[in-house]
Amino acid sequence: MTVSLILPLAMLAGVPAFAQIDLQGTWGPRYHEDQEDRIPGTYMGDYVGMPITDEGRLRGEAWDSSRLTMQEQQCRVHVSPYIYRGPLQLRIWEERDPESQRLIAIKQWIQNYQQLRTIWMDGRPHPSPNAAHTWMGFSTGKVEGNALVVTTTHIKTGWIRRNGLVQSDRATMTEYFIRHGDHLTHVRILYDVYVSEPLMHTTDFVLDPYYRGNWIYPCEYVEEIADRPKGQVPHFLPGQNPFLKETAEKLGLPPEVVRGGADTVYPEYRLKAKGAAVPARPASGTPKFDIVRIPGPGPNDVEVLPVQGDVYMIAGGGGNIAVQAGKQGVVLVDSKTPAISDKVLAALSKLTNAKTRYIINTSADPDHAGGNKSLREAGVTITGANVTRDIADAAAGAAIVSHENVMNRMVAAKVASPNWPTSTFNKGPKELFFNGEPIEVIHIPNAHTDGDSIVHFRRSDVIATGDIYVTDGYPVIDVAKGGNIQGIVDGINRVLDMIIPDYGTEGGTMVIPGHGRISDEADVVEYRDMVTIVRDRVQDMIKKGMTLDQAKAAKPTRDYDPVYGPGDAFVEAVYRSLSGGNR
Amino acid sequence: MNRAVRYALITTCLVWISSAPARAQGPGPAPAAAQRTAKAAAPIDITGYWVSVITEDWRHRMATPRKGDYESVPLNAEARRAANAWDPAQVEAAGEQCKAYGAPAIMRMPGRLNIAWENDSVLKIDFDAGTQTRRFYFGSSRPAASEASWQGVSAAQWEIPVSPNARGPAAVGGAAGPPGGAMKAITTNLRPGFLRKNGVPYSKDAVITEWFDLVKAPDGDQWLIVKTVVDDPQYLTTPFITSTHFKKQAGATGWNPTPCEAR
Repeated sequence: MTVSLILPLAMLAGVPAFAQIDLQGTWGPRYHEDQEDRIPGTYMGDYVGMPITDEGRLRGEAWDSSRLTMQEQQCRVHVSPYIYRGPLQLRIWEERDPESQRLIAIKQWIQNYQQLRTIWMDGRPHPSPNAAHTWMGFSTGKVEGNALVVTTTHIKTGWIRRNGLVQSDRATMTEYFIRHGDHLTHVRILYDVYVSEPLMHTTDFVLDPYYRGNWIYPCEYVEEIADRPKGQVPHFLPGQNPFLKETAEKLGLPPEVVRGGADTVYPEYRLKAKGAAVPARPASGTPKFDIVRIPGPGPNDVEVLPVQGDVYMIAGGGGNIAVQAGKQGVVLVDSKTPAISDKVLAALSKLTNAKTRYIINTSADPDHAGGNKSLREAGVTITGANVTRDIADAAAGAAIVSHENVMNRMVAAKVASPNWPTSTFNKGPKELFFNGEPIEVIHIPNAHTDGDSIVHFRRSDVIATGDIYVTDGYPVIDVAKGGNIQGIVDGINRVLDMIIPDYGTEGGTMVIPGHGRISDEADVVEYRDMVTIVRDRVQDMIKKGMTLDQAKAAKPTRDYDPVYGPGDAFVEAVYRSLSGGNR
Repeated sequence: MNRAVRYALITTCLVWISSAPARAQGPGPAPAAAQRTAKAAAPIDITGYWVSVITEDWRHRMATPRKGDYESVPLNAEARRAANAWDPAQVEAAGEQCKAYGAPAIMRMPGRLNIAWENDSVLKIDFDAGTQTRRFYFGSSRPAASEASWQGVSAAQWEIPVSPNARGPAAVGGAAGPPGGAMKAITTNLRPGFLRKNGVPYSKDAVITEWFDLVKAPDGDQWLIVKTVVDDPQYLTTPFITSTHFKKQAGATGWNPTPCEAR
């Protein structure tokens, strides 16, 4: 039976809690379980004891540990569902309001990757699904009986085993911290699209007040492989991972056993391995649970999220809008659809009294440029020379900036002229200096379409990517309008070249995708790896002479479909791109 | 704390547990508790059928590890020599196939548990793996001294979380604290056996401290979490600590009593 976990925000938020239990102190782990997996790391292809889905297994089998030599992979942090399983030292303390002494948060310092984790105990809700994800995620807690119960959302994609098995960024986690004297048990239940049953682990800690070891974990990436071709992502094509058979031999187990799956974690599997007839149990199917989903804005609503510096994101109702607001006025990147313009304007009026001066279009798509007219008319252009102050009287409105192919596409599509760009560029980058900030508009050739641009707010350190990068689906590649998979790959790599991450490839330069949530380098890397791997798979199919239908039937996106949705249209676009389209 | 002191403390604790009525973690009057049985005072209900879900130590639990594979168990040299000498044929010849099904190890066996009250003071756990039974004696119900056995003798008590407004820990049957709690048990009088099937030893002097906790997952599943601390002055350099999880079943589905096996 599927049990719905779709909870209202209020439930996620929990209630203000009393400290019936005290977890404070320094805790040292004990590795008396899964030591091989947790300390040195187990073999590639060893999935024993993991209730993974077929898709989860496929992702694991594609993993090539050489990927860890890539600069942007070297300092990736272990996500909160996994970090307690690896080597670490743990310090826990409480943060209380100095006036009321009410418990605000329980803090944890995790030595491995020097992570500061906050578990909010003050009843605050979980943030919007469009907010950024982090390695530790967003956690709220409450005390139930003798346990601190923690609910975590907004987790990045990361390990569930350090050999390529992953949880997605859709995962949620429930934890129980239970103390008995000097013993602490950490119980973790993970709900994700890559496990068909909740993934349960328990981890043991012992109070260690005299620990005087190292509490920091510097990580600085280096160039490990100098001659690696730009954009190459190490991975194994389906069926070509040479380590799977070898791993079974090393473990002394039949190959079928090391493949994991929900059926392998129940006692019957032991008897089955000995040849006994036991009732069949559903194996490796789709998850038998729903995952907590926090409601975002409805299809006709918008929400404003601060990103960084002077930049905000307006989500909902079409493509994301990036907003830069300051004394000189407002710069918008994209304008959503006309149906939502009133709500965008209302949201802007809450953000600033300044008028919109520039609208930059990342493409000609109606969900990104459809609101040009309305938003432009609410804006203003300031000029000089023989026309002083503003020319609002002439109803010029804000300037609309784009690559010239956006104009060409709008004209060809007979879009009404008030929506057209007023300032186009051909090669670029188009440069602005506005509100004390350098802004670059950079053309990305032949990616989503032939008119794509990304926008870099250099002082705020935010990049708006348009639809070359989204978090809620595969890239839409409009081959008929000049789109191409290689342009997508090159464009994302260009974005990655511009990003400078903070510690652990988290934070630093922030990214506003065309659709979906606020991102940083780790998220873009995850997406880049996906599009590159799918491209390589389809390229291999073309080399083998497979037709488009055969390529689709082979489902080269199957392992990513639980995250990004059905991949047929993407596969078709990739196939058409690689077999002669647009490049 | 050196091992002799630790062992003395555990022994003292055991005496304290076995000589007193069930009580919580610290001092505090429990006038009402004296009137209530352990069964009536249970802060959590762990009775019913439970299935072990083997997501940890799979290789050491679902398969019989190779001789000499005692990874992650803090053995001393004497224990390693004993483990290296493991011979399942000898175990079978001696009729000691249940050596790996004793209290220090049986929670790690893949299988199902059936937990029920035998009477008001004794909680019983039946295991289908090895068809073993453990009894947990609350208060003064502990039996008189008997021969060492695979399951030894387990003295149990309830632990109840501290009430936020109480000056001390809430006691069994005392002022209402927050719901929940745990069962703590200390087990002694063990017949020497194996921590793992491949001959990783524990001695007759091993003392087992366990906590049984319940958690209810958001999807409605109930989980029993058993933390097991094995302290063995003969074979272990430090306590051997594991936590094992079981999922609640609606009934006896899958209950499959099987005899002990040595390999």
